[in-house]
Amino acid sequence: MLLYRKKSIELFLVFVVGVTSIAILFVLMPLASIFLFFDPSLANKVLFIDPNLSSEARSAFITAFVAASVSTLILMGIGIPTAYVLAKIDFPFKRFVEGLIDVPLVIPHAVAGIMILLCFGSRGLVGSKIGIGIEDSFWGIVAVMSFVSLPLMVDSVKAGFRFVDVSLEAVARTLGANKRQVFMYITLPIAFRTIITGAILSWARAMSEVGALLIVAYYPKTINVLILEWFNIYGLRYAVVLSVPLIVIALLLFIVIRVLGGRS
Amino acid sequence: MIEIIDFYVELGGFRLRIDRLVVHDNEYLVVLGPSGAGKTVFLHALCGLIKHRGKVIVDRVDVSSLPPEKRGFVLVPQNFALFPHMRVYDNIAFGLKIRRVPPEIIEKKVVEISRKLGIDHLLDRYPHQLSGGEQQRVALARALVVEPKMILLDEPLSNLDPKTRLEALNLLRELHRKLRFTAIHVTHNFIEALTLGNRIAYIDNGEIKVIATPREFIKHQCAKPYLKELEPLINTIKT
Repeated sequence: MLLYRKKSIELFLVFVVGVTSIAILFVLMPLASIFLFFDPSLANKVLFIDPNLSSEARSAFITAFVAASVSTLILMGIGIPTAYVLAKIDFPFKRFVEGLIDVPLVIPHAVAGIMILLCFGSRGLVGSKIGIGIEDSFWGIVAVMSFVSLPLMVDSVKAGFRFVDVSLEAVARTLGANKRQVFMYITLPIAFRTIITGAILSWARAMSEVGALLIVAYYPKTINVLILEWFNIYGLRYAVVLSVPLIVIALLLFIVIRVLGGRS
Repeated sequence: MIEIIDFYVELGGFRLRIDRLVVHDNEYLVVLGPSGAGKTVFLHALCGLIKHRGKVIVDRVDVSSLPPEKRGFVLVPQNFALFPHMRVYDNIAFGLKIRRVPPEIIEKKVVEISRKLGIDHLLDRYPHQLSGGEQQRVALARALVVEPKMILLDEPLSNLDPKTRLEALNLLRELHRKLRFTAIHVTHNFIEALTLGNRIAYIDNGEIKVIATPREFIKHQCAKPYLKELEPLINTIKT
């Protein structure tokens, strides 16, 4: 009987370890493939020697980098107070609001682009009223990136604020701190790591966006739009040259998040 | 003197009602009661952390409508709630910094109270580096240093191991004898109430049933279940 149980446990372990190995390989193999397919001499030519290609690539990198950073800063300004409200204050329809904030996560990217265009475009619901048009502009890119990244920022920071023990805030109040001081000196510093994690995740999500950008702001070209364009015009090898730096950035961010997570 | 008059709290179906309770200056009042009697709700409402009706009068000033930071009561919760991102020094100094006390006076006061509580060698440590007993001393120092009108201790001994609990019990008694602060200490522990309280208020189902000195309290009907629980121990000692 005991032997049978031991055998079944071993079989179970072999099964779960086998499935886990498949999952790891499923991520690792494509990652290895793109590095193996990477052509350093072509990368040198495209990114540094050829004046037209290198200038186009650099400009697309910078546009994406700056737009993602601006979008992250905007999201920190909007997302931190929103997360605080959702984490600490009870109000009617709170679950509905929480669901609404997460909507960009489940909407197909191209559809998100159409929604933003219909709202903030020059003929859009809000755009036409206040006289702005975000199509094919830097602010169009920022709007798209902010829309798709908002849930990541809010959800990460919200989890951080919920993690802060309410008794710490209660004691701080009785020690003489008003609500603002409690937020500044207790809640915010304790949740700081999750805010940084939220910012990194939002930034990475913004950098990875392409579907909505193709609809709202093809120009000025961001790096993902350029990867798609070069894939169509020059083929896979050129697309890989642009992709590898993005993967390196993503991996570095991943390490930072893991280190922050480990510390907290 | 603190007067609590027509005090009423309603929280998720639970009701707490206190017609009149007076806490005298320098008094150590223990609120004794079973779990769920409303002890913590009472403390939180008294601090202004939970909405209440009725009056809370401190030295003839009605503080009922004031927010927690202006009532002059400091809470010491069960888990001590030390700020994990601050060193012991900054934990103790927190209330003084908020009051914009000059740094040199803050330092003097923090060092002074730390010495009194025997924690002056821990000032550079973080809360997670402290034992339960040390954490409790820091929480007490943090509360006492701002010289509050009253300290509200919410089951301050329940998170400690038996040996440390006894030490902490003596520490609280000794501290109160030396510093003569006014305190409400809530507990479900009968011995703790008898040992520490100048008076004991027995609370059950959100109502104070009796207020008496420890000597009077043990004769009261409310003390009987506690004494019955202690009977086997008393009999063991006798035999």
